[in-house]
Amino acid sequence: MAGDSPPDIAQRALAVAGDDVQVTVVRERSLLSRFARSAPTQATAVEDTSVEILAVRDGHTASATTNRLDDDALRATARRAGAAAAAVARAGSGLHPGLAEPAPAPGAEHAGYDAATAALDPEHAAGALRTAFAVAAEHGLEAFGVWSVGAVRTAIVSTTGLQCDDEVTDAFMKVVCRDAGGRSGYAAGTAVAASGIEDEALARRAASKVGDAPLAELGPGSWPVVLEPDAVGLLLEFLGGLAFNGLDHAEGRGALSDRLGTSVAAPSISLADAAGAPGTLPRAFDLEGVPKTSVALIDGGVATGVVHDRRSAAVAGDGARSTGHATAPGGSPHGPSPTNLILAGGAAADAAELASTIERGLYVTRLWYVNTVREKETLLTGMTRDGTFLIEDGAITRPTANVRFTDSVLRLLAATEELTRARRLVSEGEFYGRRFANGVLCPALRAGGFRVTGATE
Amino acid sequence: MLELLTALIARVPRRCTYAEARHVATDDEDVLVRNGHVEQVDSASYAGIGVRVRAGGGWGFAATRELTLPAAERALAQALAIAESQPAAPAGALAAVAPAVGHWACAYEIDPFDVALEDKLELLFAAEAGLRGDPRIVRADAECSSRRVRTAFASTAGAACTQIRVECGAAISAIAVDGDELQVRSHPGAHGGSAACAGWEHVLAFDLVAHAPRVAAEAIELLTAPPCPSGRATVVLGGEQLALQIHESIGHALELDRMLLGEASYAGTSWVSPADLGTLRYGSEQLSITADATLPGGLGSFGWDDEGVAAARTPLVAGGILRAALSDRQSAAAIGLGGSGGCARADGFARQPIVRMTNVSIEPGEAGTLDELIADTGEGLYLETNRSWSIDDRRLHFQFATEVAREIRGGELGRLLRNPSYAGVTPQFWRGMDAVCSAPAWRLWGVGNCGKGEPGQLMRVSHGTAPARFRDVQVGVA
Repeated sequence: MAGDSPPDIAQRALAVAGDDVQVTVVRERSLLSRFARSAPTQATAVEDTSVEILAVRDGHTASATTNRLDDDALRATARRAGAAAAAVARAGSGLHPGLAEPAPAPGAEHAGYDAATAALDPEHAAGALRTAFAVAAEHGLEAFGVWSVGAVRTAIVSTTGLQCDDEVTDAFMKVVCRDAGGRSGYAAGTAVAASGIEDEALARRAASKVGDAPLAELGPGSWPVVLEPDAVGLLLEFLGGLAFNGLDHAEGRGALSDRLGTSVAAPSISLADAAGAPGTLPRAFDLEGVPKTSVALIDGGVATGVVHDRRSAAVAGDGARSTGHATAPGGSPHGPSPTNLILAGGAAADAAELASTIERGLYVTRLWYVNTVREKETLLTGMTRDGTFLIEDGAITRPTANVRFTDSVLRLLAATEELTRARRLVSEGEFYGRRFANGVLCPALRAGGFRVTGATE
Repeated sequence: MLELLTALIARVPRRCTYAEARHVATDDEDVLVRNGHVEQVDSASYAGIGVRVRAGGGWGFAATRELTLPAAERALAQALAIAESQPAAPAGALAAVAPAVGHWACAYEIDPFDVALEDKLELLFAAEAGLRGDPRIVRADAECSSRRVRTAFASTAGAACTQIRVECGAAISAIAVDGDELQVRSHPGAHGGSAACAGWEHVLAFDLVAHAPRVAAEAIELLTAPPCPSGRATVVLGGEQLALQIHESIGHALELDRMLLGEASYAGTSWVSPADLGTLRYGSEQLSITADATLPGGLGSFGWDDEGVAAARTPLVAGGILRAALSDRQSAAAIGLGGSGGCARADGFARQPIVRMTNVSIEPGEAGTLDELIADTGEGLYLETNRSWSIDDRRLHFQFATEVAREIRGGELGRLLRNPSYAGVTPQFWRGMDAVCSAPAWRLWGVGNCGKGEPGQLMRVSHGTAPARFRDVQVGVA
């Protein structure tokens, strides 16, 4: 078999795939170690390569995917895609604008790959786990969590002349320290390189969040809140899907449909999607082979843009163009998505300074099981978890029981009073299906009127 | 492929105290018609071998897409290497298992992969057309999905078995927008509908075309419907919403790995502890819950789980009292159970088995039909079709929203209400259940997106439900 690198495989597939096709080859190599009660529990190594052939006929697309890489399998996969696209085309013409043309200039170089991380050394995992166990033991706690690294190479070629090749790495570790009574604290780190994960610092931060004072009560109501970056990042990820998806926006379903150019957040809020910015998890192009571009989403509190893939840009019309945010070859039916969100920092030195103006309020380390209640309102519900504290007289004082919130992300951003200067790349480290590392670079923030609607026992 | 796996298992070195190898070949097809056009026709075929080993106290798992013995041996060596690289851990026992030998296949009438794409499109176009007409319907979707999974499994515990399952499902949904108001209505269920371990006959039975005008009309009606009131009310949950209620507040809570803190950093723990088995009152006397991997049509049905444990039917809650948990071989042994509950399941070849639901169902009651239950209720709310769900990491405090509510007045269904929601605390909520509809109203609902594990695994499970009534529920919370 000639050459088995993703670009080689892509070219072999293209050679047998016929007209009007895009071939996308994704190779994942990853290592993930889980631990619980200060002992390793599961360790998973994955190496897999998928080949997706997208055929376009009369404005319709159909795709077929395989992880068999021999020529016969590639030929059969191409036949499947072509036959499906032809069958669909018989139903009439479609709306797809066709495959992307090669970009006039190659995608910008980025710092999203680290060779040492791509070596996937299991000893590195073992060392990180031992460190977490030792730190937890120092505090009389148990450690739980995950350490993971991955290397993903993506090659895209097409009959329109696309020839894209990008390799990225990512590393993620989270530590939950837990006492015998079930109180827990959380810290997580995300980086391009495993060397960027500070395992001991993470474990110490998680241990510091457990707290040993009696639990305070904070009843339902609207409270001033300080949200750590992990909480802010998750809210922004939801906002990304609800407000900045160009397809939803064009269909009138987006939270910012008919609101671009209007004030939607506090003047201190500037949000962008920028895959090439320092501190993010960079990528060169999207899954249509379109170079990723930076998009200002909210600038000084004013809604300024949404992201597009080629399909959503065609639906939007009016000169809209892909911004390089396709999440699937040909564009996902769910629309494009901002996967490198960046929220500008503010003036506060740290979270303690954010809390200093709050007489009575809530300090939230992270959120959990967040889900959308009403899309256009960006109304979400979810729980706090692993480190929720009361703020009293300007100081973070006692732990509280986890609370349920039901609130609008845009309302919280409109009620944002201050943000920290420092920002952190945050991620949930969730990898369903093929590994696609993404994160949000954001500060902690203080906002008014965080709507608490319940609490755990 | 089974021969390859058994040959591999024969080569497992002596320092490995347990090993299993699983070949999984999955074929998927997803078709979506939206707003008068074909939006998606995707097919995917993945195959590979996953090898899990235990050496010392550590587990290691490695997967390869190459279907050869040398590649499988490399995966075995890699799994061993990462198991042995782990910090030392106590090597707890595994519950005993009888060797899984033989073949199992789910029953179906029409193989969905034998149905021509043109025929699928014809059905979806017809259904989708029935959703359109009012300009406030901004998105009209009709979709179907098909899956075929072939597995082979061998282990050092003597397993050598193969299985084939075929699944399919379908749904229609309409999204209506008017200004800032957005409403959605779906059939037969939300989030892609309800799949089953069955053939194309399952899709045809949904009668998507006939339901489309009602779905669209209700989406439009919801735009101007009065909002669901806030307060405490008697609530009747429709079968699909009850399925998710069971899934989130009973199924996950009874996963033994969660009770033992094995998932504390991700999926979470449980408000239930192993010491509660046999004594805890989980709900009212009307609450009986069964995990049944032998249920025909269930997405959680199989011949053997992914550790080679034979499918079983296990009462989890009987008359409101907690009787058993969902377990795999490791968690079962950890609390001294005689055998695994047969709930180890893995998502594809590149993921290792973890504790999962099979088909966790409420047993039918004696309240008759839905109409009879509504008549008996007098005043309250009927909530149907999930729209939003959230529950805490102990599976205790939950909040759900449904697409639609209807007033119950004078024992009859009345006005449509928009944005219904309700919240509660698991044991109080289930203790407030005082009626479940009878067996004819009981049916299976598929849940295709149950996330758990790291790296993430999406599992498919089913829940059998009949509409049920709950007293003193907090409603209108969002």
